[in-house]
Amino acid sequence: MENPNEKRRQELEKYFDKKGPFVFLRVAQMKRAWQQKNRRELTWWESTYIPTVVSGIWLTSKHFFRNLTLHILHTVGLFKDIPASATYQYPEQPRPLAKRLRTRHRLMKREDGTPRCVACMMCETVCPARCIEITATEHPDPNVEKQPAEFILDLGKCVYCGFCVEVCPEDAIRMDTGKLDTSEYSRESMIYDKKRLMEE
Amino acid sequence: MPKLTIDGKEIEVPSKTTIIQAAEKLGIVIPRYCYHPALPVSGNCRICMVEVEKQPKLQIACYTMVANGMIVKTNSPKVLEARKTVLEFLLVNHPLDCPVCDQAGECKLQDYYMEHGQYDSRLDDTKVKKEKKAFSIGPTVMLDQERCILCTRCVRFTDNITRTNEFGVFNRGDHSQLDVYPGKQLDNNYSGNVVDICPVGALTDKDFRFKCRVWYLDKTKSVCPGCSMGCNITVEWDKSRPHQDKKTRVMRLKPRVNPDVNDHWMCDTGRYDYHFIDKNRILTPQQGDNLISWDQAIDTMAQTIKPLKDSGHLNKIGILASAQLTNEDLFLIRKLFKDTLNGSQIDFRVPQSLGASDDFLLKADRNPNTAGADLILQPAEDADLRDIIQKARNGGLDILYVFGHDLVKLFGKNTVEEISKNVKLFIFQGSNVNETCGYAHLILPSAVYAEKDGTFINSQHRVQRIWPAFTPLGESKGDWEILSLLSAKIGAPISYPNSEEIFDDIASSLALFAEMSYEKIGDQGMMLWY
Amino acid sequence: MSDILIKFLLASGTLFIMFNIAGLLTWVERKQSALMQDRIGANRASIFGFKAMGLFHAIADVLKMLSKEEFVPAGANKFLFNLAPYLSVTFALVGFAAIPIGNQLIMGARVIELQAANLNIALIYIFAMMSMGVYGVVLAGFSSNSNYAFLGGMRGAAQMIAYEITMGAAIMGVIMVFNTLDLQQLVRAQGEYLLGGWLPKWGIFVQPLAFILFLTAATAETKRTPFDLPEGESEIIGYFVEYSGMKFGMFFLADLVETVLVAALMTTLFLGGWQVLYLHPDGFHFPWGAIMTLPHLAVVGLGVLAFFLKVSFFIWFLMAVRWTLPRFRYDQLMNLGWKILLPVSLINIAVTAIIIILLR
Repeated sequence: MENPNEKRRQELEKYFDKKGPFVFLRVAQMKRAWQQKNRRELTWWESTYIPTVVSGIWLTSKHFFRNLTLHILHTVGLFKDIPASATYQYPEQPRPLAKRLRTRHRLMKREDGTPRCVACMMCETVCPARCIEITATEHPDPNVEKQPAEFILDLGKCVYCGFCVEVCPEDAIRMDTGKLDTSEYSRESMIYDKKRLMEE
Repeated sequence: MPKLTIDGKEIEVPSKTTIIQAAEKLGIVIPRYCYHPALPVSGNCRICMVEVEKQPKLQIACYTMVANGMIVKTNSPKVLEARKTVLEFLLVNHPLDCPVCDQAGECKLQDYYMEHGQYDSRLDDTKVKKEKKAFSIGPTVMLDQERCILCTRCVRFTDNITRTNEFGVFNRGDHSQLDVYPGKQLDNNYSGNVVDICPVGALTDKDFRFKCRVWYLDKTKSVCPGCSMGCNITVEWDKSRPHQDKKTRVMRLKPRVNPDVNDHWMCDTGRYDYHFIDKNRILTPQQGDNLISWDQAIDTMAQTIKPLKDSGHLNKIGILASAQLTNEDLFLIRKLFKDTLNGSQIDFRVPQSLGASDDFLLKADRNPNTAGADLILQPAEDADLRDIIQKARNGGLDILYVFGHDLVKLFGKNTVEEISKNVKLFIFQGSNVNETCGYAHLILPSAVYAEKDGTFINSQHRVQRIWPAFTPLGESKGDWEILSLLSAKIGAPISYPNSEEIFDDIASSLALFAEMSYEKIGDQGMMLWY
Repeated sequence: MSDILIKFLLASGTLFIMFNIAGLLTWVERKQSALMQDRIGANRASIFGFKAMGLFHAIADVLKMLSKEEFVPAGANKFLFNLAPYLSVTFALVGFAAIPIGNQLIMGARVIELQAANLNIALIYIFAMMSMGVYGVVLAGFSSNSNYAFLGGMRGAAQMIAYEITMGAAIMGVIMVFNTLDLQQLVRAQGEYLLGGWLPKWGIFVQPLAFILFLTAATAETKRTPFDLPEGESEIIGYFVEYSGMKFGMFFLADLVETVLVAALMTTLFLGGWQVLYLHPDGFHFPWGAIMTLPHLAVVGLGVLAFFLKVSFFIWFLMAVRWTLPRFRYDQLMNLGWKILLPVSLINIAVTAIIIILLR
């Protein structure tokens, strides 16, 4: 006779094995569902909370002493391959970015250095934050006809939705610079113009 | 009267009606490129094909006359397939220019493709490239032959409406291209209309070129103030994206269909005369060179008028009203200066040389409301502005109140200088800066027509409504509002909540306007009672 | 004269040590929580490139708080608003006066008790001071002219009153067993041994239930998680929401000083204070018969060291609890205080009394 709880456990373990950023959420969800299904009254001893308090402190203490020991060992140069923390030391040690991650924008160039953008204003139209402001002008080449006289992108307003990239008919704007940390001392310097966007 | 069925709906129309017109009466819009209600039928685009029962082939709706008992289907699978095919042929050589094309957004090729096309391209060959891409064919229009679908609307327009015959289709087959005849330019005064009728982006407006995308535009119905014809127009403006065209609001004017006035057209003189709405405007009341508040400005006026009113020297007030004002503004001038301050001298007729005119839409009288001013102010028959100016020069006036007239241009610098010296308070109320401002003691900013709600009366004596597109620029106010404020200060308050109430008052006090209201005027206008 | 000088040195020394421990606790709290959560913790502040494991963050914090604007909300009672943080810190600090940090030090004819104030009612004094701490909370909430602060203050007052009773009742057993209110006497009494000299007669062994009750109630008294409803730093807003700059810093400091005080009190009452296992005034007397004589100064020094080690342990433990357990709901808090801890502590008193009478 198959034990339903055992089956559930195996299912959970299957998810534990899978790698991915949101696996833990799903596991927590399934665990909660499992607990709700198998809900029961607490025994007297459990209802004093003492066992759970003790087990909780036991768990955190275990981590504390393990990490403390590792830190001390690291300072004398031992066991450097076992990490003592699960975090990234951000500015020095950036987190690897996913390939498809939307990061700061850049404007693509033609071979002659003029922007690939033809100022069709699709991105300006679709932008939900209204952070793009384009003014169009004549392009010297009549086969291109139109180009942006100015292309202003206010990163202070931008919500990084990526609609501008999606909608661009010329593949002129991309969000693949890998730069995420835009910090400036004034709002004005958050506003990127054509030149700055083409440098990226 | 033949009776026919279109898409299951029955309708009875006069004979010699085409299917496309009959369908329009039922509210069914059949796609069209070459068909235009104001132009002769050409029947070359083939997109309007419909299925007529008992006819083996599809028929073009624009040229097939209705017949009794006809049963027409405009949406059968066969028809849709035909439209798709026509679109495929039209797009064989049409460049994918939409991102740079000014027509994008109001392009019939785009619209019908989204509605009926939506196929994957089967074209393996490269598209036919024309020699030149976009080039100028006249002072106002750019032509892009690659985008042209050869519907010949523009050719028929210049052949039949303006009769200037600039356009022609040259060569054969896929070499055929639209162009102006050699040595000719599209330079007639109605050239802007070919841009309106062009269903694609082949003919685009130089004035509007790359200024703004059409989907940003808001539209407000209005009447052209350029001449006394009073062509119905749409003011197309954009306020939400101020970076477009250097913070100006109005982007272009388009004609609005009114079969009794201008039909589908408007002249270039009126079409491109809108820059004054955003440029060179007076923004705040000024006393000499000082910027002052409205309260101060109205106080200054009242301080001079009140003693005259109390002492009865009302003939020392001179009012130069203008036929550029709406009926509502003029009615308040009449109420304040003719009824309350009875004795003031009012005139609006300018002794200026008349502008160019033609036998189509452009009238020599460049004021939109001469008829209205005449009716409401009822000045003496043979007088004009000159009498008041003369009096002002001689020091016979304490107050000269000018509504928008550029007196320097009309009477010369010396005259205005003398007026400025001899008149106690020389008030200039207008929307734009001109030379007269330099001599006025008090400058009041007023709204332009696109910021006003009101009515004009054109040379046919048709009362036509204008709507406010946006709020007045800066601190400027509608003319009647300024007069209303003034009237309160001099102790004879004339107050109205909005211009509609003023018009109701006009309707009840002037016989010619009897029983008129904004609602009845609507967007097509209403003739005066004669 | 020299008596006064010695007392002064002792008092200022205690104050100095406690203050510094409390200041250090900001760093300890960060680092400990970081280690418990597999992080690294504060490690950015540096002086000339030295980071010293983030120790400078404590200094940076103080500098920041000193240089921030002292904001007083409109309509606040300015006097009470300014008074409240001082009350909090003062009442937390003065408690240390009665805590014995070591055995008596004999220098020639002079006998120096390592205790700032030798009070024969030390326990009552400390409790009086701790209960005064509620004034800081209530006044801060009341004078801020803010509903959030006011409600936080009310929560704080209710909680502190509820748990103070349990705390008082819990130590009744200890007092009954050791028969004294003088903390130095109480610690000395814990120097005896039970079970043939093997088990020290520490409070935790003779009053285990009282220890748990006191631990719980004292955590609640210091307003730390899981009993941090009065402040609720992370989401619900507490009594010092309107405070900024160093006044906020003083509440923060009072909080940490209270933690140290509670740890010291717990050490004194339940863990034998400065007592070292099997250490007698002349050296170690192990229960199996071995004897290791030590000089007097070493014995006293060991005692002081033991005291601070025990205090450190309790601080670590309180921190561990704070970073492990989630906050109680308000009704759970009140239920726990009034319906469980209080009756249990009363039963504890009765049972202790019966046992004492039976043993007599």
